[in-house]
Amino acid sequence: MSEPETSATAEESIPDIPTRIRTGLSVGFRTSLKIIKVSVPLYVAVTLLKGTPVLGLLGKVFAPVMGIFGLPGEAAFAFVAAFLLNLYAAIAVIAPLHLSPFQVTQCGLMMGIAHNLVVEGGVLSTTGARGGVLTLCRVAIACVAGLLLRGLWSLWEVASSWTMALSGLS
Amino acid sequence: MEGLLPALLGALQLSAKLILIIVPLVTLFEVMRYLPVFRRAGNVVEPMMRGVGLTRDAAVPLFTGIFLGIAYGAGIIIRVAQQKGLPARELFLMGLFLATCHSVIEDILIFIIIGGNGLAILVVRLGLAVFLTGLMARVWKPV
Repeated sequence: MSEPETSATAEESIPDIPTRIRTGLSVGFRTSLKIIKVSVPLYVAVTLLKGTPVLGLLGKVFAPVMGIFGLPGEAAFAFVAAFLLNLYAAIAVIAPLHLSPFQVTQCGLMMGIAHNLVVEGGVLSTTGARGGVLTLCRVAIACVAGLLLRGLWSLWEVASSWTMALSGLS
Repeated sequence: MEGLLPALLGALQLSAKLILIIVPLVTLFEVMRYLPVFRRAGNVVEPMMRGVGLTRDAAVPLFTGIFLGIAYGAGIIIRVAQQKGLPARELFLMGLFLATCHSVIEDILIFIIIGGNGLAILVVRLGLAVFLTGLMARVWKPV
């Protein structure tokens, strides 16, 4: 995710398998290290903020917007982290909040579509596509997907409660 | 600051989980990416791609983006897009598809480890990507 150069030389020469494993491991660990440098401080910060009224107060401000997607106001911080940085930063914010399975899924869906907007918008522009338009599209699509999942999830819950009720009758 | 120790422990636990996902995934990709199967995959998916207005030239950047993500696959996406001289319409459609559905393996795995439903994420993203790109391909007709 944060190693844009590694895939650039795919066709030049084909290294043997041990070399590939070594490259993979070292790239993997370097990428992990970069991610951890961001996610550890964020996770600690959010956990400590949870003990103060700050998080709850700011959460109340964002609650109406987040509520549209079935999320608590505190989830807004995760969205800021996802939009500006990446999903690992967002995860570091989400994990200490102890959200429900639906809420985690909702975050995963919406942030999966719209994250790392600054860097990825740049990448998309480099290919000749319209980066700015696509970035706006991503945020809009994320909102559509969020509403869709909320609807589907409640349908699913109704359906499964009926199935349970029916199997209880027979 | 009596809350600092549990916070650090939680952060370390999350980091360990992330390393356990990232390192094997990147290593697996490094080992697999030279296999000829992936270069020939274009033939199989061509009919499906036509449905969303894309040609074979877009197959490599599209699938790189779907599986690896835009930032990580940037090298391949940029190079192939320029080499093949993809037209603006196709670049837009590819971009729209990838905006909705990219980096599916890694993104979904990391949300599964914190308790999300991976299948629900995948189904909605893929479904929405096919729907939106297919729709735009019909709105923006090829010249």
